[in-house]
Amino acid sequence: MTYVISASCIDVKDRACVDECPVDCIYEGARMLYIQPDECVDCGACEPVCPVEAIFFEDDVPEETARFTRLNAEFFDDLGSPGGAANSNFADRDHPEIAAMPAQNGAHA
Amino acid sequence: MTTIDLGTPSLRSGTESVPAADGPQTGKEFTSDQEVRWCPGCGDYAVLKAVQSFLPGLGLRRENIVFVSGIGCSSRFPYYLDTYGMHSIHGRAPSIATGIATAREDLSVWVVTGDGDALSIGGNHLIHALRRNVNMTILLFNNRIYGLTKGQYSPTSEVGKVTKSTPMGSLDHPFNPVSLALGAEGSFVARTIDSDRKHLTAVLEAAAAHRGTSFVEIYQNCPIFNDNAFDAIKDSETKEHAIIPLVHGEPITFGTRDETTGLGDKALARSAGGGVEVVDTAAMPVEDLLVHDAHNEDPSTAFAISRLTDSGYLNRSPIGIFRQVQRPTYDDLARAQVNDAKTKATQAEGNDTDRLTQLLNAGDTWNVG
Amino acid sequence: MPPSFVGPASLETPDHGSRLVKQLDRVIIRFAGDSGDGMQLTGDRFTQESSVFGNDLVTLPNFPAEIRAPQGTLPGVSSFQVHFADHDILTAGDRPDVLVAMNPAALKANVGDLPKGAAIIVDTHDFTKRNLDKAGYAVNPLDLLGDANDPLGDFQVHTVDLTGMTVEAVKEYGLSRKDAARAKNMFALGLLSWMYGRPTEPTTTFLENKFKKSPDILGANLTAFKAGWNFGETTETFVVRYEIKPAKLPEGTYRNITGNLALSYGLIAAGVRSGLPVFLGSYPITPASDILHELSKHKSFGVTTLQAEDEIAGIGAAIGASFAGSLGVTTTSGPGVALKSEAVGLAVMTELPLLVIDVQRGGPSTGLPTKTEQADLLQAMYGRNGEAPVPIVAPQSPGDCFSAAVEAARIAITYRTPVMLLSDGYLANGSEPWLIPSVDDLPEIDPAFATAPNHASAKALAAAENGGDGEPDEFWPYLRDPETLARPWAIPGTAGLEHRIGGLEKGEGHGNISYDPANHDLMVRTRQAKIEAIAKSLPPLEVDDASGQAKVLVIGWGSTYGPIGAACRRVRRAGYHVAQTHLRHLNPFPADLGEILKGYDKVLVPEMNLGQLSKMLRAEFLVDAIGYNHVRGLPLKAAELAEAIGQLVGEAEGINVDLGEHGLNPPADHEEMPIQ
Repeated sequence: MTYVISASCIDVKDRACVDECPVDCIYEGARMLYIQPDECVDCGACEPVCPVEAIFFEDDVPEETARFTRLNAEFFDDLGSPGGAANSNFADRDHPEIAAMPAQNGAHA
Repeated sequence: MTTIDLGTPSLRSGTESVPAADGPQTGKEFTSDQEVRWCPGCGDYAVLKAVQSFLPGLGLRRENIVFVSGIGCSSRFPYYLDTYGMHSIHGRAPSIATGIATAREDLSVWVVTGDGDALSIGGNHLIHALRRNVNMTILLFNNRIYGLTKGQYSPTSEVGKVTKSTPMGSLDHPFNPVSLALGAEGSFVARTIDSDRKHLTAVLEAAAAHRGTSFVEIYQNCPIFNDNAFDAIKDSETKEHAIIPLVHGEPITFGTRDETTGLGDKALARSAGGGVEVVDTAAMPVEDLLVHDAHNEDPSTAFAISRLTDSGYLNRSPIGIFRQVQRPTYDDLARAQVNDAKTKATQAEGNDTDRLTQLLNAGDTWNVG
Repeated sequence: MPPSFVGPASLETPDHGSRLVKQLDRVIIRFAGDSGDGMQLTGDRFTQESSVFGNDLVTLPNFPAEIRAPQGTLPGVSSFQVHFADHDILTAGDRPDVLVAMNPAALKANVGDLPKGAAIIVDTHDFTKRNLDKAGYAVNPLDLLGDANDPLGDFQVHTVDLTGMTVEAVKEYGLSRKDAARAKNMFALGLLSWMYGRPTEPTTTFLENKFKKSPDILGANLTAFKAGWNFGETTETFVVRYEIKPAKLPEGTYRNITGNLALSYGLIAAGVRSGLPVFLGSYPITPASDILHELSKHKSFGVTTLQAEDEIAGIGAAIGASFAGSLGVTTTSGPGVALKSEAVGLAVMTELPLLVIDVQRGGPSTGLPTKTEQADLLQAMYGRNGEAPVPIVAPQSPGDCFSAAVEAARIAITYRTPVMLLSDGYLANGSEPWLIPSVDDLPEIDPAFATAPNHASAKALAAAENGGDGEPDEFWPYLRDPETLARPWAIPGTAGLEHRIGGLEKGEGHGNISYDPANHDLMVRTRQAKIEAIAKSLPPLEVDDASGQAKVLVIGWGSTYGPIGAACRRVRRAGYHVAQTHLRHLNPFPADLGEILKGYDKVLVPEMNLGQLSKMLRAEFLVDAIGYNHVRGLPLKAAELAEAIGQLVGEAEGINVDLGEHGLNPPADHEEMPIQ
């Protein structure tokens, strides 16, 4: 199981969740934050601090954003388990499906 | 008084007598259907996840694994693992696990406990389990606070800690769990951190492989009542200065790493007083740096290293396996005595029923009628 | 002058010499000395000789808590009383016919218990100024023998220099004076063995085994023993020997056994009959430690004994072992039960088989470690937080500790519950001839471990609709047997039955944590109902109401069986009616107990406490149970109790009751059955 970051994070990236995560498993991409599902310990600390309610427990992801479970996971297909966001920098990349999305949440692309 | 030389039984791995699983297992198989009920952000989640993902790798039959806990936040642990388990009473898990481990050679026995459970109400059972060296692994989740009773100071809280029960600051000098375990002659004594999955997993693997009581202190953050207690050893900015990493066979150094030598700018060396002290690496010939020897029979150096842990706010702490030595386990010896007696008696005098008849009719008897 | 025993069956005939042989139906002897004088051993040997001879007997050891209390003082006196008879007896006797006193303190501490006319054999050697002072004698009472103011004038006193003669007899072994003098107990034993025609061979064999490695000590003890015998044979001091014929006991093979030994054997037997390894977790405590000692000798039966770091660890390990599939046992006394209470509650909640053996002693707190009492009944019954019902079984005599242990194990294993077994200091150390049971006649106990899933999940049921088998596919640890309400016992290593149990409230059936109000109410009631259901497995309570005319019922539990039985016999011999029944099961009570109580006008409850069973009977049955309560650290005295019963019989029947010689009036101690 894991927590999943969904669409409302795109082009927001508040990062409150990053500060909250005790195992440092929330990684910053170019347009959104991603949770490394193998590193996530299901503690739920991130969920309530997200100002845009982007974070869901895997079982609770709303149907319309269900693909984000896959998107979070696939973001790490090449990266594996980096073992902590503090020492990583993936801010130049996104999952291709995210990268292809139009500007969200009122942000300018 | 007479003493009997019990001989030295062959020393084996911690899980050797536990039946192996038929095939590969997954973490999911070890996860029960119970909803995990710790506070959001609790360090317990990280440990649970690490254990769930590490257990399949042991390759043991799930039904031959038993988790026993006492009372406290961490003691909910067994409910979340789909193995056999008992959530017992406050402080007594090591005694219950002693019974399980002694009764059954074919079980892998784990105790999950906290600083209050293991060091306060259950202190006696902890030291005696270590002394007996019963084949089990004790995971002590140390968050340096009482969580389940809502925030009183614990036996590992720093002096002066202001809590609900100590509005003017706590007066008790804290225990250093590793020092205590070494003092009780623990044969496997280690310390690790909830959020460092890699290190935690490596220590658990070594602990499981060790035959005897493996004692693992896990620094575990309580985000509600003692948040940030371990920040110095977790923060990427400070941790290389705060963690004194213990790796068997390596010189013990920490602080800013030298790119070429790989050594930190601080190191441990023998002090003039016979203990261990922190020195500037550069100021010492490399050969004088203390090389970690976890297998040293004499626990003095391991103890001296454990004393470098801050007893106040944790700015510095040695992390790793302090001690890992082999000595006979209580449960192996106890079973050997029973099995020897049983084998000899059965050969000489027959089955249990026949021998019971003989026993009841032994001594001075007489017949009436 | 010979001691004059008055007994209905006494008859005098000359022996082979000029000595008279007097027939007696029973004798009570008390050996008393300093706690280092070996009185327990002496008494024990005399007991073995008597049991091999075929007498019925009951013993009462009585010793200080200190290992070596200050020498020569009153608190340091250790005694051993043995009552042996040619008929079935029930108690160690109220008042000794013979006192063997090894020093002034032993004389002083015990003379008050003697009836008029009793014989006293005194070792004069230790009647020194210092020892007299320590015992609080201003004047040596032996100097006043025969005087007008002789304080021992009511007794037949024989002064013998036991120590002096012992030292003289064993001279050839070259022992120190101190070591030589230590054999004086064997001299005394030899003398008494001669006097009562006891067989000597068991003691000779015993000494040969005990001192196998020390030929000098062996020689000295054997010599002292023989010298004592020969002294009786040759001296003019004793002109009569006594003969107490073997008792007519039920047919079978007997041995003499103490309660703690019988209890240990019972636990081993429970292991054998259930096929479970016995696991004892225990912390040493008087008077229970002997069970730990004994069981630790029987590893060959698969018995594991763990001397734990404390009382709680003892029961903790036992619970762990039970969880793992052993018969978990913990042994202790009252203070230990107090410490184990929380863990007993855990066993109640987790519904695991467990035996908690409480060998009761005087309380509260440390109390009287070496003395007997029955004051832990309410602790066993109610001494836990929450509604935590625990079955209670109590043996009634030393030998009965064996079958009580087997019965406790039957209940624990069948019903998956901790069971309290309440023995006491008197049963533990006291002994009696025990009819050795045949192992095949003992109940077989089936642990009936769960081996397969017992519940079909929603998934399986749904699949059933599409052609699935709908068979159970998951394990519910709290799905109960409808008959016994016992839950399944699935032990680690059983694949597919992995489950978690613990102290938190369980959801009925699935056993997961539940804080649901209705579920808690159900579970509390179910746990209670499970214990109450045990009554269905109990045999009808036996009531001894020979005449069928009794209006008074005497009901007891535990070790008071002997004194109550003896007291009832006295009342009946005096011509009155009384009924007796005795409870082996204190929780639950036998199903027919309420009806039985209703059948009598008055109910008397003798106990060695301030009325714990009577409180329970009153609460359960609204019966006016009248207490008869002594807490002196000693068994109840039959004659006193008989008077109390007599008084109640008088009230119930509206008659004057005079027990005459069957009450407190001498001669004491009629325990034979009333003449039919």
